[in-house]
Amino acid sequence: MDEDFDVIVVGAGFGGPVAARICAEAGLKTLIIERSGNVGDKVISGLTIPFYGFLLGPEFIRDGNPPIERPSDGIINYIIKDIEKGDIEIDDSLRVPKPFSPIFAFGYNAYCKPFCEWEVRKAVDTGAILKKSTTVIDIIKEDNCIKGVTTDKGDRIRSKIVIDAEGSKGLLAIKAGIREKYRPETISLADIYDYAMLKEDIDKVFGYSVKMCWGWDEQRIAPPLGYGNGLMVWPYRNSLHFMQDQCLRINKNHVPNLVELFKEYHSNITQKLSWWKNLVEPRVKLRARMWDGFEIYVGLNKKLRNMPNHTDGMILIGDAAGLESTELCDGVPAAWFSAEIAAKVAIEAIEAKDTSKSFLEKYDRKIKEHPIIQWSISGRNRYNLRIAQKEHDLKKLRKYIHNGWGLGSLTHFMTPFFKSLLSYVNNDPTIITKWIKMFFRYYQNWFYESYDYSRKRKFRETTSKKLKKMEMKFTRYLRLIDSLLKSLRKKQKFLSVIVVPLSNSLNNLMKKTLPIFEPIFSFILRLLNPISNRLNVKILKFVEYANPTIFYI
Amino acid sequence: MVRTFKEFLGVEWVEGTGDFIKIDEAKCIGCRNCVNVCLAGCFEIVEKKARVKSLEKCMECASCWYVCSEDAVIFTWPLGGTGYKSDWG
Repeated sequence: MDEDFDVIVVGAGFGGPVAARICAEAGLKTLIIERSGNVGDKVISGLTIPFYGFLLGPEFIRDGNPPIERPSDGIINYIIKDIEKGDIEIDDSLRVPKPFSPIFAFGYNAYCKPFCEWEVRKAVDTGAILKKSTTVIDIIKEDNCIKGVTTDKGDRIRSKIVIDAEGSKGLLAIKAGIREKYRPETISLADIYDYAMLKEDIDKVFGYSVKMCWGWDEQRIAPPLGYGNGLMVWPYRNSLHFMQDQCLRINKNHVPNLVELFKEYHSNITQKLSWWKNLVEPRVKLRARMWDGFEIYVGLNKKLRNMPNHTDGMILIGDAAGLESTELCDGVPAAWFSAEIAAKVAIEAIEAKDTSKSFLEKYDRKIKEHPIIQWSISGRNRYNLRIAQKEHDLKKLRKYIHNGWGLGSLTHFMTPFFKSLLSYVNNDPTIITKWIKMFFRYYQNWFYESYDYSRKRKFRETTSKKLKKMEMKFTRYLRLIDSLLKSLRKKQKFLSVIVVPLSNSLNNLMKKTLPIFEPIFSFILRLLNPISNRLNVKILKFVEYANPTIFYI
Repeated sequence: MVRTFKEFLGVEWVEGTGDFIKIDEAKCIGCRNCVNVCLAGCFEIVEKKARVKSLEKCMECASCWYVCSEDAVIFTWPLGGTGYKSDWG
């Protein structure tokens, strides 16, 4: 292939196709190069894509119907104090309460392969060209500027810009001289098991909750605190994903024997942890085991965090740019955000006929200004668990778990989240109703297994007048919200005087008020439980029977 | 040609990868780091030096490359369309 392109995107994971679609939509001649035989063959993760990835990410994902395995309404943390005595504490404070769950989800669990395939089809639909089974082996560099790539097929493919979405190893970025091999302390090796389990059993045992286990190292129940993920279990539609992961090097010199350790952790967790042993083990069948490394602690190192993500003719996105989230260990939202920014900068650069390092610096500036990206790569709670581990301090352990994967996360998430929301609402106030529709549409599509390009939907036909009335009400309320927000836009300047300082101080406000607010919140939830449950049943029924078009954009 | 292994369910390996991981024997100090982190058992120590035993179960995680403090492990990608694949990632 000796054709010239405007943009070459290397890698068809989560980020690459987003960049490719946006570039192709803008009329740029775009090529995606993927090393595997089928898209998604080599993408491995246990995955809840957090809600903010969908809300603030690419329009075509937010307004579309991507393949999801199960909505997730929160996290149940098991703090294992003594496994032999069964002394286990639970922190399940991070949860979307009923009646909102599972329509308003904390995130969406997904298999990587169908999701990446879906994204690639969206990119190809807008004109991007996909070249599979092709490994990029080097860059073409002329006059100190990257002008394309060479492949294992012997092709020299030229382009004005290369967007590197290669993933965490970053071999291409190293060749381009903008990255170095990461130190092993920053990389966690994730050992992943996929189990088949009946949907009814998952509904009963897990519902919509992700389960995480944290235990002292000497119990050998999960990888040591702060040196990896502990243990995470994700419920999918008819299956579970189980992940234990640990950093490749701990305490500077010690490279653990992961072959032995993972065997030990896995056997202890499945044999000693009561909920796994009694409720899960008898109902599951191992379907697959795989592993991959990802760079969870890159963002904590200031030098690494500030490494350039661009050079003349090249931009790095997602994991290739080291944008893995330290706490949620999820790189997808940051991959989407960075892909979108990269594509827009690439489009501007090509229009301006300037793909130099100085022009593309705009990309790095935007990455550094992005509140959610910066929050997600620099969260310290997981890392701080090392201190709790070393000091064997239960109080600290509870605190860091609560702040990372409990309601305490609001004390550091609210300001970046609210800032990002504001910038979106400023651009288009009607986005709020698009978000609401997204949650309803996603749940309905999950219920019917009906995604773009799939044909599984079987409508439940109903001529109920009550339903029609509810559909009309739903549409009318959303219109009302739209017109209210549009009218508020006229008072934007006035409102920003209040809203901007409020958003800046939200984290501090949460820090001060959460200790009082949290017990009250949980008391009210308990009190309202019977009403919430009844309302929840009604809402779910409405969404299951409603005409899908009312949730479309 | 596609291969599977009993101990790693749900994963297939397409042959023809080429020698995408190599060891520079001159640099290797035989520290066993690569052996310790490779869940596929790709490495062995022979005469105090690491050696690639077989890449047939390699899942391309690059852990061997990361943990080699001497930069003796040379890691590249396998040829296009080869190596591991799974539907359950």
